[in-house]
Amino acid sequence: MMCQDHPGPGGQESAGPAFSALLEDSAEDLYEHAPCGYLSTLLDGTIAKINATLLGWLGYERDEVVGRRRFADLLTVGGRIYHETHFAPLLRMQGELGGVAFELKAADGTRLPVLVTSTVKTGTDGQAQLIRTTIFDARDRRAYEQELLRAREEAERERDRVQRLVRTLQQTLLPPALSEVPGMQVAAYYHPASADEVGGDFYDLFPLTGDTWGFFLGDVSGKGAAAAVVTSLARYTLRAAAVHDPDPATVLAHLNTVLHHEYRGADPRYCTVIQGHLRPAGDAAAVALATGGHPPALLIRADGTSAFLPDPGGQLVGALPNARFAAVDVLLTPGDTLLLYTDGLTEARTQGRVRYSEEQLRQDLAGLAPTTAPAVITAVTGLLAGFGDGVEDDTALLALSIPLPGGDRP
Amino acid sequence: MTGTPFSVTTRTTVTGPLVTAEGELDVVTAPRLRAAIGALPLGRGRLLVVDLAGVTFCDSSGISALIAARNVAEAAGAGLALVAVPDRLSRTFGLIGLGDFFPTYPSAEDAIAAHT
Repeated sequence: MMCQDHPGPGGQESAGPAFSALLEDSAEDLYEHAPCGYLSTLLDGTIAKINATLLGWLGYERDEVVGRRRFADLLTVGGRIYHETHFAPLLRMQGELGGVAFELKAADGTRLPVLVTSTVKTGTDGQAQLIRTTIFDARDRRAYEQELLRAREEAERERDRVQRLVRTLQQTLLPPALSEVPGMQVAAYYHPASADEVGGDFYDLFPLTGDTWGFFLGDVSGKGAAAAVVTSLARYTLRAAAVHDPDPATVLAHLNTVLHHEYRGADPRYCTVIQGHLRPAGDAAAVALATGGHPPALLIRADGTSAFLPDPGGQLVGALPNARFAAVDVLLTPGDTLLLYTDGLTEARTQGRVRYSEEQLRQDLAGLAPTTAPAVITAVTGLLAGFGDGVEDDTALLALSIPLPGGDRP
Repeated sequence: MTGTPFSVTTRTTVTGPLVTAEGELDVVTAPRLRAAIGALPLGRGRLLVVDLAGVTFCDSSGISALIAARNVAEAAGAGLALVAVPDRLSRTFGLIGLGDFFPTYPSAEDAIAAHT
């Protein structure tokens, strides 16, 4: 850059005629036709001076404005209120204020979005004399903001559509209501980890024959639409197989064959499941269940003892060509509660961010004995709520209990 | 305490690729392990070694990725070995009945020595 005090050799000549023209540009012309609006007002806002650029934008003649209108008169009603209550007081306090968005009202009634910057000019005695204001045309910026707003609204509508779809799809994967089992209490709960993706947990309880009910609870690997397809397949296979074969281990073997056949290779899909059936008899119920790679069911006895049901080596369902499954039998008597859950619960991060565990679950619930299915579901729902966003995966719960004689005694 | 950041690194040994996974292997990170393994050149008779020493957590998606690794290796006529499997993950394998599904070795050197 060239500096006037120290002209280099031949500096003036080499700058050429364009530079000379720039030097002749008068300050007056720059003021009048600057690419922004200039405005000087008295302290009460009366317009004392205005440049041609701003007059052009507004469509006013100079004598319609100077000495006749205040700056606030150029604003929309909302802008005038904002100017009165915020802009003017702040400006008086700070002496300058920049980048504030207003809308100017032109002579023909159209509105012009602008950005306003003002400074208070003080005399040598420090007294405020007048207010200088620069006004930038913000139409481009406004158009951009409106475009952003439109895009955002569109994205929100899209998100709503997705969430509605996810809710609907999730509902089709869960029973609308659990079957009632005479002499027993049943309760279930589904906690979705995300409103945007279908989870892979599922459960059901359904009548098999006159005196037997089937139930299952499981967790398909992965999330989203691909997992939902597997969940759907698993549900229908389990329900159909349970009708044909009373042995829960055989039911799981059927599901294993179906899943392994459908999903081999680089994208294996499998699930962990507890499949069982129950037969109420007198004031007790005989339960048989088989586990396929699933966290063990928790049995809370009426007498306060609690234990996980043994899992005789049941393998993940769908991963291996000939997976092994075996069933265990347990007799529920009055005051006993059996809880099935998915690992969304036992692998949730607790307040200390340490992951929860099966053993902690057992300890937290053992104190409820003798309890009921609804009471256990309420307690675990409370635990989940306490974990908040520490519950990173979907969680399904299914509880079965036999009430104590004389009604509920949670 | 939200865990170690997840990473996957790959290098080549005399018997084939050695993949080292570190951090939490879950629904978010498992696709990265899958992608890394899917991109490996695996010839017939080679051995894919997956070092899990640094894996601090593994959920069903992580197990899925390991099963996928075995399927990928099998399809290529190669073998799979998991090495330095953390105790907690061994217990999970046991729980889901996969205790004997993956060939496991204490270290990559052991797996390579057993293969050659």
